[in-house]
Amino acid sequence: MTDGGNPASDQDGSAPSNRSAHDLLPSDLVALAQGGVSVVIGCCDRHGNPLSGIGLGARIDPAGCIRVFAKRATNAPLLAAIAEGARVAVTFSRAIDHASFQVKAHGAGVRDADPGDHPEILRQCMVFRDELIEIGLPPQVANSWVNADMADVVAISFRPCQAFMQTPGPGAGAPVSVP
Amino acid sequence: MTAVDLKPLRRSMEGIVASVLTTCDGDGMPNVSMISQVHFVDSGHVALSYQFFNKTRRNVLATRKASVMITDPVTLVTHRLALEFLETRSQGAVFETMKAKLAGIASHHGMDGVFRLLGADIYRVFSVEEVPCWQLLPGPPEHQLLADLRACQAGLDRCDDLEDLLDTALAGLEQHFAIRYAMVLMAEGGTERLYTVASRGYASSGVGSEVAFGEGVIGVAAREKAPIRIGHMTMEYRYGAAMVHTARRAGILSGVPTEIPFPGLKSPRSQIALPILLKDDLLGILFAEAEETMRFGYDEEDALLLLAGHLGLLIGALKDEAAVAEVEAVSGPAAGENSVAVRFHAPDQSIFIGHDYLIKGVAGAILWRLLGEFKETGRTEFTTRELRIDPTLRLPEFAENLDARLILLRKRLEERQACLRIEKSGRGRFRLVTQCSLKLENLSAAGTLSAG
Repeated sequence: MTDGGNPASDQDGSAPSNRSAHDLLPSDLVALAQGGVSVVIGCCDRHGNPLSGIGLGARIDPAGCIRVFAKRATNAPLLAAIAEGARVAVTFSRAIDHASFQVKAHGAGVRDADPGDHPEILRQCMVFRDELIEIGLPPQVANSWVNADMADVVAISFRPCQAFMQTPGPGAGAPVSVP
Repeated sequence: MTAVDLKPLRRSMEGIVASVLTTCDGDGMPNVSMISQVHFVDSGHVALSYQFFNKTRRNVLATRKASVMITDPVTLVTHRLALEFLETRSQGAVFETMKAKLAGIASHHGMDGVFRLLGADIYRVFSVEEVPCWQLLPGPPEHQLLADLRACQAGLDRCDDLEDLLDTALAGLEQHFAIRYAMVLMAEGGTERLYTVASRGYASSGVGSEVAFGEGVIGVAAREKAPIRIGHMTMEYRYGAAMVHTARRAGILSGVPTEIPFPGLKSPRSQIALPILLKDDLLGILFAEAEETMRFGYDEEDALLLLAGHLGLLIGALKDEAAVAEVEAVSGPAAGENSVAVRFHAPDQSIFIGHDYLIKGVAGAILWRLLGEFKETGRTEFTTRELRIDPTLRLPEFAENLDARLILLRKRLEERQACLRIEKSGRGRFRLVTQCSLKLENLSAAGTLSAG
């Protein structure tokens, strides 16, 4: 298991190192990531194959470590690749207006979610569910969408090295600027 | 190794639930984004839109690999697809369909030309993995769409004029497909405009309303001659709204987007527009909408596109056998006591009854021609053939759509409850019925004729 708090080696010699999320992200994006949003995860296995995954929510601690919560069953190949040191990208997107940003890291750690995280995961899932209903998804679909067995939930923890705006349209892909 | 078959996954590619796309650069740094369009190409290939995901684009060109997660919006079954990039297409059916859908969404937000599809990136799907993700829901009940289509087409084959054909088609949509809101718009030859000639289900018929090529799903379907569907209007509108907001902030757009005047449901959640083609000529658009989300899927698109194609062939056949019956001049019935002024404005060929606007364009010219003849000779029986060959009407030699214009004129007179009307009197024949005396005023010529 790698520790998301330790920057991995910078293989191309130019990419920035992992650092505190609070140094990379303005407070509104820190809030957005923890606000009950869509969380999607990407990584690359050792054969160079990209892998897509889906998360449930996230917490960012005062030290600037991001923990992304995800179901083990859904994301098994990603978690295996991360355990082998794969780099990680996570995009957070608010359902109601598609306001989005992406963070990237040279490596991450994977462990079971702390039971103390469960109420917060559930809260974020409920917010996300309500927003899905607000934008028109049938309630039975939205409820299924956020149904999670907490025993199956892991935390992918990392310090980001880069952050990009991802809201659809011109400007998507631009680095996040911190005021 | 089992061959990949994507056909059972088409519903997951409706764009209702956003898909997850991951690519990597040459150093293994991933890039993950939400995308709205994973387009079904065939059982082994998908297409992704190439427009704004620049990092994705660079990664794909460098590694030719991508991973996509797609979710069925009904059952929530989720799959992870491994993709190999093959080529970018900037023309052809796949590109036009993707472009049209993107343009249709953008047009509703005044974003024409801003979010241009640069290409349809074609990928081979080399593995499909079902992913345990969400609590699954039961699938929808199965529809016998082929049987419905067969029954609907059988009804059309019994029609012998255009009005009957279009009305039967719309009735068939309701009877066999449970589609309650639908309309047919015909192309106005040479003008890149469409006008509504038949509708069903609306409080107001909307007959005579116009849509320009490129406006909304109807106009884009007409311009591209491709079927366009929007299955979850709210979500896609919001997706477009986010683009508008970002574009405004970036200074690309200014001003307020113009709302498209469209006589339909106030809050549709699903819309579909199918081109009515005769070979490669666009005759019109068959349009349907619904208040439910996800009302029209790939299967419905298949069925309705076949129906629209059948309509096109039948409309073409009706034109080929246009009646040549000539009728003798027959004096009109005794006019009523009242007198009404009918005013003609030549520059746009518009007609006013009293002070109320009735119609413009070729349909207006036709009515003015009929009324003039009636005034001069008292004749009330006419044939479509004599209008077709009348040089004063300047009907285009091809795609003149005279029958559609007569339907439009008849329905407008009926809706306005005017003191004159047009009614069918036989195949290729129609009758002008006046219920009051008419005073004809050609505003351009400053001349006034009295009739009846």
